[in-house]
Amino acid sequence: MRHRITGAMSAGAAAVVVAAISLTANPTAGQAPAGQTPAAPAAARQAPARPAPAGQAATTYKAPRSAFKDGKPDLNGIWQANNTANWDLQDHAARQGPLIELGAAFSIPAGLGVVEGGEIPYQPWAAAKKKENAANWLKLDPEVKCYMPGVPRAAYMPYPFQIVQTPTAILIAYEFASASRTIYMNSKDESPADTWMGWSRGRWDGDTLVVDVTSFNDQTWFDRAGNFHSDALHVVERYTPASRDVLQYEATIEDPKVFTRPWKISMPLYRRVEKNAQLLEYKCVEFVEELMYGHLRKKTK
Amino acid sequence: MKGTLATGLLLIALAAAAVPAAGQKWTAPQTPWGHPDLQGLWTNATVTPFERPAELADKPVLTEQEAAEFEKRFAQARDADRRVGAGTDADVALAYNQFWYDRGTKVVGSRRTSLVMDPPDGKVPALTAEGQKLADARAAARRQSPADGPEDRPLAERCILWPTAGPPMIPVGYNNNYQIFQTPDHVAILIEMIHDVRIIPLGAQPHASPGIRQWLGDSRGRWEGNTLVVTTTNFTNKTNFRGSDANLRLTERFTRVSADTLNYEFTVDNPTAFTRPWTAAVPMTRTEGPLFEYACHEGNYGMTNLLKGARAAEQVTEGR
Amino acid sequence: MNLMGTKIIVALVGVGMLCAAASVRAHHAFAAEFDAQKPIKLEGTVTKVEWINPHAWIHIDVKRPDGTVEQWMIEGGTPNTLFRRGVTKTSLPIGTVIVVDGYKAKDGTLKGNGRDLTFKDGRKLFIGSTGTGAPNDPADTPR
Repeated sequence: MRHRITGAMSAGAAAVVVAAISLTANPTAGQAPAGQTPAAPAAARQAPARPAPAGQAATTYKAPRSAFKDGKPDLNGIWQANNTANWDLQDHAARQGPLIELGAAFSIPAGLGVVEGGEIPYQPWAAAKKKENAANWLKLDPEVKCYMPGVPRAAYMPYPFQIVQTPTAILIAYEFASASRTIYMNSKDESPADTWMGWSRGRWDGDTLVVDVTSFNDQTWFDRAGNFHSDALHVVERYTPASRDVLQYEATIEDPKVFTRPWKISMPLYRRVEKNAQLLEYKCVEFVEELMYGHLRKKTK
Repeated sequence: MKGTLATGLLLIALAAAAVPAAGQKWTAPQTPWGHPDLQGLWTNATVTPFERPAELADKPVLTEQEAAEFEKRFAQARDADRRVGAGTDADVALAYNQFWYDRGTKVVGSRRTSLVMDPPDGKVPALTAEGQKLADARAAARRQSPADGPEDRPLAERCILWPTAGPPMIPVGYNNNYQIFQTPDHVAILIEMIHDVRIIPLGAQPHASPGIRQWLGDSRGRWEGNTLVVTTTNFTNKTNFRGSDANLRLTERFTRVSADTLNYEFTVDNPTAFTRPWTAAVPMTRTEGPLFEYACHEGNYGMTNLLKGARAAEQVTEGR
Repeated sequence: MNLMGTKIIVALVGVGMLCAAASVRAHHAFAAEFDAQKPIKLEGTVTKVEWINPHAWIHIDVKRPDGTVEQWMIEGGTPNTLFRRGVTKTSLPIGTVIVVDGYKAKDGTLKGNGRDLTFKDGRKLFIGSTGTGAPNDPADTPR
């Protein structure tokens, strides 16, 4: 394990090394006390400029174990993506925003895509619909109306979310629109109807949380660029602790009504490490009422 | 403090009423790190009224027989399949068949005749002069413009906040369901309506600064013996729990008293609005899951319809 | 039970029950949306069901005596209570004939609230876990 050790850090670093060795030797020894998380391997600390290609070896970082003593990694915390995926999942140049008055405060920044291979494999009819969506973004994007963002978009909205993890169910609370979802662990239950945030069934694959999400309606988008799906959407997410403060997030997207094959996105999610970090409210319904219902308002004389 | 002592005694009485019969000692389960385990799915649906009706001023508790009779009569009186009188607003307000509702079928375990525990008369105390002024202003605004715009409508109709979320968490006609998750440093409560999540940090960190105002306030929790005590402040000035204002300081207490019962009690401390603090208890009982998604705003045809209806009614009265 | 006891129970039920444990205003004010002076009784064929909140909507085609077909939207309650009793999105198939006894929308459009929803034979919808009107399943199973 390579890392630079200064004189002041050496004692702490030694403790970290000891903790790392003991954790590796006995993975079910219970959770490591705070502050003794082993240092991330050097390879994982260098966040890649592009998402890791499929098949690359997983990180060797081993997260502290859950306080439930079930031997699973502890994913609790407040997390947030830090990229432009919500603007556009694919590579995109900077360009003018939709409202002149907002100028540079709300124009579209450039961004590197998060789609593996770069291409979103639309069927021909769907590729045309995507273009139409993009051209009518303000009118059609459900985000503008404060509708719940669905999965995977909720993971990379520019707002934090919080994971509360128990062995039987994992709760994810999203700040945007107070959206939330429950991941039922090792469950075979099915949803009775279609939903905005999907129906999530989770299991562990080593230290990776794998979530199978189905029963979506066709109302959400993947980003502000008009990328969309049908009610046949099926998403498989993978959350893997890459270092103490980074989760590697991947989502495989399948929709036989819209795409010609499954496709995949991946990105790091970063822990909000502020000492008193907490989710606040973004109950945006209030902020869209004039937009949505203003035309029905009583006219004042 | 007198209020706290009275509350404490009431809580003990409640707990005593709810535990299993003598001879079967129940030990509270714990999480692996030694906190009382409140986890699982709970409902607070009940037929017990919030305040004690005037006729029962001298009857704080029902007998078992009276409770059974009451539950039966409640089910009959509130059966939405009973048509009250066709062609009346009352019939319209009953809205739809009984199968859409889920009000609960039982009085609370203690058989008290109100959810309000303190003051002992089971009624919400009077508002202060300031509180009354605010209540009058709110009522006047509703009369003046009942449906000029969406902001005139109740928070539930706007799909912003439901009474089951509060806090305090109060049951309504259906979907009175909660799921509690615990970790060493947080307790999270998922509320079915409107998919709200209260994430309550445990520990000594202070509340958010006064500049942060939230519909659900800002909560902090701590364990006192087997009771989770949650204090909530930082409510918005649009908060209105039976007359409360932005200075509301709410204290909730959660104590698991049996495998299937979670005692939930809250104290309203809001001296600018109420003449004294007051306490109510709404026990929660185990229920089967799962909770279902309650996406409200996304499907809110009702807001469009009622605004259009109001505009149509105005055209009629204006003779156009 | 003695007479006094009965009086107490009747009083409790009569007075306290308008709003059991919740503020009256909290519940959706149907009277704002639908007109008590415009009752409707329709027989129609289900064309679509929106299993959504805050209210489910059942779309029906109603054939008028003159042969024209009107497309109505009928408002129900929250589907979540039905889901908890085993109802799913396949429980009310397209093509099912239902009878709607309710009130018409105040804005004059072809919408109504489903004050009472039944099949043609008078059985209520969604009684029982399959929504087929299985007679042995009570409407409000105590939990």
